[in-house]
Amino acid sequence: MISRKLCERVLAAAASTGADYAELFAEKTFNRSVNMLDDKVQTVGDNVVAGVGIRVFKGLRSVAASTVDTSEEGLIRCALQAAQALGEGKAEISIVLKERRFGDIHPIKLVPGSESLSRKTDILKSAYFAARKADDAIVQVDASLLDVDHNILVANSDGIYAEDRQIRTRLYITAVADKGQGTQTGSTGPGARKGLEFFEEDVDPAAAGKEAARQALVMAGAGYCPAGVMPVVIDNGFGGVIFHEACGHSLEASSVAYGVSQFAGKLGQQIANEKVSAVDDGTIPNAWGSINFDDEGTPSHRNVLIEKGILKGYMIDKYGGRRMGMAPTGNARRQNYSFVTTSRMTNTFILDGEDKNEDIIASVEYGLYAKDMGGGSVNPATGGFNFAVKEGYMIRNGKVCEPVRGASLVGTGSEILMKIDMVGQNLRRAQGMCGSSSGSIPTDVGQPMIRVSSITVGGR
Amino acid sequence: MRYEEFKNLVVQAAEKAGLTDYELYYSASESTEIETFRREVDKFSSSAEGGVCFRALVNGQMGYASTEDLSAEEAEAIVARAQENAAVLESAEEQFLGEGGGQYETFEKKEYPLPETDALIKAALHGQELAYAVDPRVTDGTSTVVMRMKQSVAIFNSRGLDLSAENQASLCYIAAVVKDGEEMNDEYKIKAGPIDEWKQEELAEKAVKAALAKMGAKAAPTGSYPVVFAPDAMSALLMTFSPAFSAEAAQKGLSQLAGKEGTKIAADCVTLVDDPFHKDSLMPMPFDAEGMPTRRKNVIENGTLTTLLHNLKTAKVAGVPTTGNASKRGYAGSVQISPFSFVLAPGQMSEEELLAKAGSGVYIDTLNGTHAGADPISGDFSLQSLGFMIEDGKKTRPVKDFTVAGNFFDLLQHVEAVADNAEMESFGMTNFGSPSVMVSGLSVAGE
Repeated sequence: MISRKLCERVLAAAASTGADYAELFAEKTFNRSVNMLDDKVQTVGDNVVAGVGIRVFKGLRSVAASTVDTSEEGLIRCALQAAQALGEGKAEISIVLKERRFGDIHPIKLVPGSESLSRKTDILKSAYFAARKADDAIVQVDASLLDVDHNILVANSDGIYAEDRQIRTRLYITAVADKGQGTQTGSTGPGARKGLEFFEEDVDPAAAGKEAARQALVMAGAGYCPAGVMPVVIDNGFGGVIFHEACGHSLEASSVAYGVSQFAGKLGQQIANEKVSAVDDGTIPNAWGSINFDDEGTPSHRNVLIEKGILKGYMIDKYGGRRMGMAPTGNARRQNYSFVTTSRMTNTFILDGEDKNEDIIASVEYGLYAKDMGGGSVNPATGGFNFAVKEGYMIRNGKVCEPVRGASLVGTGSEILMKIDMVGQNLRRAQGMCGSSSGSIPTDVGQPMIRVSSITVGGR
Repeated sequence: MRYEEFKNLVVQAAEKAGLTDYELYYSASESTEIETFRREVDKFSSSAEGGVCFRALVNGQMGYASTEDLSAEEAEAIVARAQENAAVLESAEEQFLGEGGGQYETFEKKEYPLPETDALIKAALHGQELAYAVDPRVTDGTSTVVMRMKQSVAIFNSRGLDLSAENQASLCYIAAVVKDGEEMNDEYKIKAGPIDEWKQEELAEKAVKAALAKMGAKAAPTGSYPVVFAPDAMSALLMTFSPAFSAEAAQKGLSQLAGKEGTKIAADCVTLVDDPFHKDSLMPMPFDAEGMPTRRKNVIENGTLTTLLHNLKTAKVAGVPTTGNASKRGYAGSVQISPFSFVLAPGQMSEEELLAKAGSGVYIDTLNGTHAGADPISGDFSLQSLGFMIEDGKKTRPVKDFTVAGNFFDLLQHVEAVADNAEMESFGMTNFGSPSVMVSGLSVAGE
């Protein structure tokens, strides 16, 4: 993308006023999408993102500059702009880059960019019409097939010069159902760090379409969820968003390093029920949130966050690591060159426990079974979080009963982690896009079935 | 390569390919942002972005291709890609390129010089000093963020449209974190405008006091109450449910407001305005993403839905003129529909009078997770909230960890009163604003 020699010249310019660290991140990304609505292929999205972000540190001062002008002149100008913003001084470090080949553990068989558009529309139509024709009560379907070919180059004054090509594919289907009590939606969005072979080897597009329709139909026939404080059983897959929101964000250096996290200064202490162990693992082959190395050139790791309730580690980028006096963990990520890299999750999930799923359901006299979850958000400073239940059912006398709509779960991260008192054995991950200060990035959430002994359920 | 040069190459490539109906949409932005931690500058970032979207009519379908790479090869490539992309489209709808025309409104724009970097740094550090000085409980994590930005948009097409607009702004944001024992709370306040009008002292004091006011909050009691939504909370609801006002959503069966034009959808005291030239907007626009003139209009007038928001395509289907609400999410997006500044018109009462009218209930100043806990199609919401109890007509103890649930379209019918304290927060092309609003009977789930 940019030669090693040119990177050395740009980094030398960036470090010319005394930076003790300089970094260049270049990308060329092909984003493509095909969308169907109203039974027709309506839009094809096709966008090339190309630019460079340059960053310098001096002690705890960080400066970032980005540009779309990737000519040598443009890069040097951007580097000098960063150098000037850092202050006045003389060059303190010398830049020698060595090429690294970190390897690629994510084989791609059908590179989406070299497959025909009609192959993509075939996959999309299979999913779309499976949802559309599932039932007469399905009144609308919105489906998209997305593929991203994200080519990155990271060069920094630690000597790293490395390139990676991240190819991801995702199908997203939303079905709308109406049974005369107002519309309800159901959705599913399987994705992977794979090419179009994902839809042959792992996910049947038609099955994904039917699943979205099934959920919409169940919810269209549901009454409102009663409000109150009750035990909640949260199932696997996207249910893991509870851990992502209630705990994951508060373990990122971007909040820990500033003291604005409930879990700052608590390494080695119990922060969760002893049944809870959780990891952030960016090394899972072909997983949606996986990376070979992060956007600062640190190889990806499997980081244990919580082991039997004890806080074992944080997710740390280089800058956060400076503030915390800790090494980076391979979690530095950014949506693209124009965002400033920070600590983010990759694939983050609760590990299997020892409880049997049927025992978990049977243990609840009156409560909520959240079979599938929607998104949520958290304020790391207070730990206050919320998330939406996409498919919920009441549990009475240990049995799953009628479906309920409109439920949300709210609470405080530190409290909820202690209340996860049963952990099942059907760990599954699901895909999401996580938004934070460095933009929107692909992450997996996941868990086996868990029970939260009591939580506030919003409903009416 | 500069945009003008790139544009000429694209036009050549389009003409060579025999395209007769095509358009280029260009948007670019520059920004500088400074963040602080404790009493030092922590992060400095600047960015210069810009991209081009090319779209063309090919056999009745509109193919799109976009890029940030303004090179000669890419100028030819996007023309080819747009044609390839058009080939798989099946839309039954008529596609349009704007011809512009009509009157573009001239409006008064606050023009002011953007602060130099040194002045920005000084202001960022000063904001921190002021915030820490308000109260000893102000703690690390408190941050003053200052920004300056410029944005430009240009549209050029084969129908003779050739428009451009530029906006610039500067702003200050103070996020206060307060700590008392183990309890931590935060709150932020923001002010856009010329640097000498930021009133940082007032901003710091407001942010810190609002964070402190949350100390000791407990869950609200479960029940059904009158609710007073503060301006920020009501604006968040308007933002969440604004897609329902799009004629595109209505025509696709994705809005409860389909076919409701001319009927009562809200209480008499509700008037909702879309104002592309709002005085507090950072990005006032005389034309929309199709290059059509924009205009101020009441979308709800005294409770009656007067119009949905249209672009050229939906307007043709509905047999009405466009309302000039074509929008794009970034340069690369396809043309959709959104409001500019969506603002609930203020009423006569003060907020105190509104609280007195409510008597007892809940005052909500923060709604979280609107992207997850609300469904713009059905109107249902169940949202994590923060606020205060209302007792004897006054705000009393702080409450947290509760949800407020209801349906937005029912809520519009049950607005009892609207206060006179309108506020608007502006972050980009679309803004939402509201005064405090009292609504009868919403479900609150707490303890």
